[in-house]
Amino acid sequence: LKLSRDGWAGLAVLAASLFLFALTLDLKPSALVPIGPGFYPRIVLGFTALLAVALVAFDFSRKKPLLSLEKANHGAVVLHFAVFGLYVAALPWLGFRVATFAYVAAANALLDPPRSVKGLVRVGVLALLTALAVYVVFEHYLSVLMPRGRWTGF
Amino acid sequence: MYELLAAGVVDILQIKYLVPLCLGTLAGVVGGALPGVTITMTIIVVLPFTFGLDPLQGLAAMTGVYVGGSAGGLVTAILLGLPGTPSSIATTFDGHAMARRGEPGRALWLGVWSSFFGGLLGGLFLIGATGPLASFALQFGPWEFFSLFLLALSMVAGLVEASLLKGLISGALGLIVTVLGVDPVMGQERLRLGIPFLSGGIDFLPVLIGVFAFAQIMGEIEKRGMPSVLPAVDRTMSLAVSQARVIWEVLSRPLQLLWCSFIGLLIGVLPAIGGSAASMMAYDQAKKFSRRPQDFGSGAPEGIIASESSNNANVGGSLVTIMAFGIPGDAVTAVMLGALTIHGIQSGPLFISQNAQLAYGIFAAYLLAHPIMVLILALGARWMLRVVTVPKAALFPIVLVLCVVGAYALNNTMGNVYVLLSFGVLGYLMVKFGFPLAPFILGVILGDQIEINLIRSIMTDPDPWLFVTRPISGVLLGAALLSIVAALWQHRRMQRRAAVSQTDPDY
Repeated sequence: LKLSRDGWAGLAVLAASLFLFALTLDLKPSALVPIGPGFYPRIVLGFTALLAVALVAFDFSRKKPLLSLEKANHGAVVLHFAVFGLYVAALPWLGFRVATFAYVAAANALLDPPRSVKGLVRVGVLALLTALAVYVVFEHYLSVLMPRGRWTGF
Repeated sequence: MYELLAAGVVDILQIKYLVPLCLGTLAGVVGGALPGVTITMTIIVVLPFTFGLDPLQGLAAMTGVYVGGSAGGLVTAILLGLPGTPSSIATTFDGHAMARRGEPGRALWLGVWSSFFGGLLGGLFLIGATGPLASFALQFGPWEFFSLFLLALSMVAGLVEASLLKGLISGALGLIVTVLGVDPVMGQERLRLGIPFLSGGIDFLPVLIGVFAFAQIMGEIEKRGMPSVLPAVDRTMSLAVSQARVIWEVLSRPLQLLWCSFIGLLIGVLPAIGGSAASMMAYDQAKKFSRRPQDFGSGAPEGIIASESSNNANVGGSLVTIMAFGIPGDAVTAVMLGALTIHGIQSGPLFISQNAQLAYGIFAAYLLAHPIMVLILALGARWMLRVVTVPKAALFPIVLVLCVVGAYALNNTMGNVYVLLSFGVLGYLMVKFGFPLAPFILGVILGDQIEINLIRSIMTDPDPWLFVTRPISGVLLGAALLSIVAALWQHRRMQRRAAVSQTDPDY
């Protein structure tokens, strides 16, 4: 099966919409709205599945060669998503201040690796200032209670 | 109307509204001037700061960002040749050429005053058209609203420059997001997939923030060999110019100013096309109507006037659709819609009658943001060139931290932060696979309303032909069909052309 990224994307959308469509069959109608909560989702998911089939079919019948993917540093993107994912996971455990300090330092160091002690100090100062400034502004002036850490207690 | 507008101006001139408006305009000008930071990203960063403010303070700040951002892009476009936002790409063609020719001050101020006058013309349309359009929309029943929202989705799916099929799938994916978690009519749980934070449905703001912020930032990170240092600026460059002469240079071309502002307005009213399309189209029109088209590209003042007047008039057009119909004209107004819902205000046809003070306050903020923008650029255009040298390695983590705060602060739960991350990944993947983001976001925003109006219409009368036989609904559905057919024709025509120019996505 020779498919381009359009074809694979179409297959992924098709699989997701069929899976969700199957789940809507278990939804029970409500007494007040006899149409039921599954009526509209079935229309949307059925329509999406049809469009996905069309995308796969067009891709399959399209004349090759395919467009090549542009050169990009996908490794850096995966790494940054991973670091951000760790930050989000750490927020409830370390609290906003510690997790944000660690995240900004890590992300900044990855984007512009420090090559000297001065560079390391720059990374640390940026992370510290960001964590504290955002915390102070939102917690004290805008009444947003920032996440506290279960491990750190603050 | 004029009394309400005057009251709005008096409101906005109070310190508690004027300060957020000035700060928002400053943030917009700086964000707009930074290459790689769009107005959408700037407004996403500003959003969490507005949570603790009253609705008019928050919306005044956002209106300032929108107006300031639309003009801010011209500074780097003209002086460095690097468009700060996609909507100032056309400004580089003649603005930078004029600056290199030794007239940087004239080029800069032609852009600033064109933005000012284009924006004010957009303001006149905004104030004059929103009320009548909202009154017209008050005649709508659920059939008409359902058809109107379908028209908006089909137009966006068709107008984006990717394939029509991908545009439609993108819109449908947005609708799928709204069917997860909870049924908006009865509040019954459905399709929770065992995920606890889906139990109340998905808020559209974390989705929007995640999709746009990550798509843009990760798009920048993945670029290999991205220049980390901007072109050097000649510190001795003089930006002094006779303001009266420049203003006369803009106003002595009234037809061009009106026509290009009209193009900007029209593009702004159509959902999700964006300022870059408006400025390119206006530039193209100005060139076609010019007596000296050969001068374009080498520093023609008409090129700067066309681009800048249209992209600022575009803002007024975008605000009309959100205030009259509750349909965001672009990503920036989508965030503004989110800010309204945070404060429990429903946008749409009833908005202007039920919240007259707020609506006219927004109009006043829009009008006053223009002189503030001129003042900021007069005082800080040269300083702006220093701001743009802020390293992205420092900027991007801070922006993402503010995105987390914005998502978290919506209801002080981590659930929205998980939504932010999940849709950040999805948004990036959609961009990589060539799916346009605008229809997706519009689907997420309109999904609940489409379902509610569909169910209401069927509950009122199960006859499906009413969607076609009710005149307004029928016309709207016909227009939706026509937009699909037109998009098919347009895409076919584009496919025949060998070379398709690539521009930055208008996030």
